[in-house]
Amino acid sequence: MSVSSPTATVGSFTREVFDAHLARVAHLPAWWLDRKRAAYERFTTSPMPKRTDEGWRFSNFQSLSLDGYQLPPAVTLDDVHHTELGVKGAGTLVFANQRVAASEALSADLQKAGVIFDTLQNALLNHGEIVREHLLTQPSKLDSAKFAALHEAFLEDGAFIYVPKGVEVALPLGVFHYICGEGAALFPHTLIVADENSKVTVADFQRSTRTTDKQFICGGNDLFVSHGAQLTYIAMQDWSREALSVQFNANIARRDARVLSVNLHAGARQARHESFSQLQAPGAHSEMLALTIAHGTQEFDQRTLQIHQAPNTSSNLLYKNALLDQSKTIFSGLIVVDPDAQKTDAYQSNRNLMLSEEAESHSLPGLEIQANDVRCSHGATSARIPAEQEFYLQSRGIAKAQADELIVFGFFEEVLGKIENQELHDSLTELIRQKFKDAEPVIQA
Amino acid sequence: MKPLTEVESAATENPVAGIDQTKGDFRYDVTYAFDAGTGLNEDTVRYISSVKKEAPWILEFRLKALKTFFAKPMPTHWATKDLENIDFAKIRYYLSQGQTPKRTWDEVPDDIKKTFERLGIPEQERKFLAGVEAQFDSEAAYSNIKEIVAKQGVIFCNSTEGLREHPEIFKKFFGKVIPTGDNKFSALNSAVFSGGSFIYVPPGVKVAQPLQAYFRINAENFGQFERTLIIADEGSEVVYMEGCTAPKFSTSTLHSAVVELVALKGAKIQYITVQNWANNVFNLVTKRGVAHEDAEIKWIDCNIGSRLTMKYPGVVLKGEGARGEVISIALANDGQHQDTGAKMVHAANNTTSNIIAKSISVGQGRSTYRGVVHLPKHLKGCKNNTECDALLINTNSRTDTYPAISVRGDRNATQHEASVSKVSEDMIFYMQQRGLSEAQAMSLAVNGFINDLARQFPMEYSVELKRLIDLEMEGSVG
Amino acid sequence: MSQLEIKDLHISIGEKAIVKGLNLTIKQGEVHAIMGPNGTGKSTLAKAIAGHPDYAITSGDVLLDGNSILAMEVDERARAGLFLAFQYPSEIPGVSIANFLRAAVQARMADGEELDATGYYKRLYSKMDMLKIDRKFTSRAVNDGFSGGEKKRCEILQMAMLEPKFSIMDETDSGLDIDALRIVADGVNALRTGPLGIMLITHYQRLLDYIVPDFVHVMHDGRIVKSGDKSLALELEAKGYDWVKQEYAAKA
Repeated sequence: MSVSSPTATVGSFTREVFDAHLARVAHLPAWWLDRKRAAYERFTTSPMPKRTDEGWRFSNFQSLSLDGYQLPPAVTLDDVHHTELGVKGAGTLVFANQRVAASEALSADLQKAGVIFDTLQNALLNHGEIVREHLLTQPSKLDSAKFAALHEAFLEDGAFIYVPKGVEVALPLGVFHYICGEGAALFPHTLIVADENSKVTVADFQRSTRTTDKQFICGGNDLFVSHGAQLTYIAMQDWSREALSVQFNANIARRDARVLSVNLHAGARQARHESFSQLQAPGAHSEMLALTIAHGTQEFDQRTLQIHQAPNTSSNLLYKNALLDQSKTIFSGLIVVDPDAQKTDAYQSNRNLMLSEEAESHSLPGLEIQANDVRCSHGATSARIPAEQEFYLQSRGIAKAQADELIVFGFFEEVLGKIENQELHDSLTELIRQKFKDAEPVIQA
Repeated sequence: MKPLTEVESAATENPVAGIDQTKGDFRYDVTYAFDAGTGLNEDTVRYISSVKKEAPWILEFRLKALKTFFAKPMPTHWATKDLENIDFAKIRYYLSQGQTPKRTWDEVPDDIKKTFERLGIPEQERKFLAGVEAQFDSEAAYSNIKEIVAKQGVIFCNSTEGLREHPEIFKKFFGKVIPTGDNKFSALNSAVFSGGSFIYVPPGVKVAQPLQAYFRINAENFGQFERTLIIADEGSEVVYMEGCTAPKFSTSTLHSAVVELVALKGAKIQYITVQNWANNVFNLVTKRGVAHEDAEIKWIDCNIGSRLTMKYPGVVLKGEGARGEVISIALANDGQHQDTGAKMVHAANNTTSNIIAKSISVGQGRSTYRGVVHLPKHLKGCKNNTECDALLINTNSRTDTYPAISVRGDRNATQHEASVSKVSEDMIFYMQQRGLSEAQAMSLAVNGFINDLARQFPMEYSVELKRLIDLEMEGSVG
Repeated sequence: MSQLEIKDLHISIGEKAIVKGLNLTIKQGEVHAIMGPNGTGKSTLAKAIAGHPDYAITSGDVLLDGNSILAMEVDERARAGLFLAFQYPSEIPGVSIANFLRAAVQARMADGEELDATGYYKRLYSKMDMLKIDRKFTSRAVNDGFSGGEKKRCEILQMAMLEPKFSIMDETDSGLDIDALRIVADGVNALRTGPLGIMLITHYQRLLDYIVPDFVHVMHDGRIVKSGDKSLALELEAKGYDWVKQEYAAKA
């Protein structure tokens, strides 16, 4: 076995770069800086993923390099061409190259109710204990410990949302993470803590300003949903077509909590997305949905883990991929039911719609069940548009191309339909449809 | 290691040791004329090759395989760490009373014969088999094929004979379906293989009754490494069944076979295994077939018993219109891990594969399904269907499912479904209300769970399977 | 003559008392109808007598021919001669009716005694003919994919084959159309001529037009509050259960 030299393992993220970064955040609490230093050490000492790592099976290693990136300079809101969504929201935070560039504050009522919607840096300074308890405290269980350490070491700023006990935020909160510039590296983060019986919806938009820049994004989010709370988290990823993206989503659902996470993937050259859901107390429910439009030579690598740690918990995962051109998707999911988690109800499904002769899908749906009184199942399918559906629509006088588009949009809607906020649903549906049309004006016969 | 010249006289009569409920758990002491000793090195391999009087190319093949075996790491990055408990230095790699099997049961030495009689092999042969080979530790003690079948040109012998008598056929296919370096245990087998069946079915010949091999491990700290090669020539058909047992020892025993099947154009091979190894056996087997144009290979694989079974029968669908199927039943009881599955590699257009795997975990038993389905992009009209169902009996039973399905292009289709369930309390209550004990009710429910698969077995085997399941379910409730 | 005695029976599910002191004696050859509105504990009574683990008998006793059955396992009670025709019979995938009943019949035989297969099938087919069950059913899995009527006929078939001393029929009429009800009733009537005592649990009088009971009991709030002959059922049909409830309330 060869041991990589330290420089080979850190790529662009050398100690000098780290020290410079640390100097910029020196005003933050000491415990956080200590954790960052420890994370950097873990990053330098842990190996890059290898072909033989089960958690990286089928992944592309050729382009998984950490070389050629730098921490980008500050930019303005104009530089990132920020556009609002046209959705009525409760507040907005816009980050450009990981610095806050614009914000729309919460209403006075929500502020008075104790809702916090602020930058992570401000939260570290003003609400240190809550942040300390929740930020990046979940284990990395999906074989990306090195990237998780890198994220923690270089995390500069992000969004922090706290909803106090019993408070319901009716309108969605919007977070925008922009990356701008060739070679830029970004470490975005969104931390959401929904306290007991609270309710909130957060939409997280992740965009590059140009589709052609080589970029590196190593992002994460932590979602905590306390007793009886309800969280809807929607992430729309649209990085540059030349970006390498590694992102982690960790959520924890406590007693009777409900968490819905919807991940929409459109961008990046190679995007790895890990989603880790822990059902920690009876009645907890986690819904994990993803929709991916893969085109060109894009590779989407999705790894998920549903851990049922308590009895009477439920989870439902649905990952749908539409594959065009020479794109490639990997779905590797695992449902784990701990020995005490009787009466677990867990489902996992991966559906691949093959829209090209050269696309490639890999499905690895897994189960590890250690309790006997459970209902667990998974399914995976890969197929083209069903000929009979196509025929049915054509028999109603709809042209083939149109029929195919309808069927594909129908395929998307199963995921998008779970977004309850109508405006948000419509606006995301339009974005996804547009992405799909841009990717492939005419669906292949 | 025994000197090659020494052949001991007939063994002394020994009392039966350690009989219990389980059919295969008994042992008569046997004296071996040939013994490669304990531990594995080049000399072990040379010893095996020389007692078999093998051609030089085979020894070369073995020695090369041994290097591969030593070089390959244990696959513990994905498989269970229990593999690390195999101590290769403590295993005996070759034990036999001779290299030539007998053609009649009367000629089989008494100490070996009574084992097979007790297992009912001669009786089964008379009843419904076209041929039988009975392997005792490293070599076949008995091998016979019904005359009517032999007259059709069907060859059925053990691999040692096959290599000696039919090298022109053997060499052409040997090691081609499963290369030595396929995995660590296929390399081990390639180095020290002994016994196993060699079958050749000429074009157009349909063997009406099944051919059967029975593998018996008798010695403690022993490794059985049979090597089976079945070639069904164009348009021919054959059903092969294998059974196996070993007594329960306190130390571990290793069974590591390699089975290669070749179904030429339009041929059909059905390979049926009912395995019931004792709880100390590591059963690490590589099985794969190549199906040519319009050919069909069907693995029916039934795993009960053993400490750890790792076995993923595969089919390479090489010719257009080829079909591959794996029907798998696994039952894991206390102290057992059934890590089984299937591998389907589509390599031609319009090929179809089907996998149905059902597992039952009892007590602290653990069953794992692993599957690989591979549909490359230049193909069209390929289909795979996979169904995995797991039944958990007790609260501390465990099941895992790890399929991997790769599809390229939009002209192929796959679907995979898996579910985990338990036997419902209402169902057990219902059956108990009809007067069945809880264990009987559970056993009936388990048999019902696999019934649709068991029906595909020849009658004798499904009866045997049911009996084995009943035995395993006793004491699993209450 | 055999008899089934229920003495001051109290049954709870979890902490909740459902049956609160119920007395009833059924002799072989008698048909007792237990009627009453939903939620009065009729099905609880049936399942508890059969020995369902979810129902706790907190006091009282159930005697079969003078011996308490409460310490017996579910299957022991069944083999002692107690049959429960389920309101919602379980589906048993993969286990054919023929094999299932065979196992049940075999379970009633002494150790080492072998079932005579020819005789068994002869008997099975004659009972199936009586109940107008297609012979093809013998190879179908027990209740798996059966219609409501098929399930109920399958219950009666099992009752006919297992020849219990006492049968508790729990809402056997629910989900049946008139034709199916008639077939089921004919089957039960054919069996009641033998040494069989029946406890017929039903919500509606309709069933009692076809299976005419010797006694009718009305259950309310976990007790039998009124008993009579078949005319009581007709009275209930005409007046509804509220009448009984009011009478009971007045008494209490």
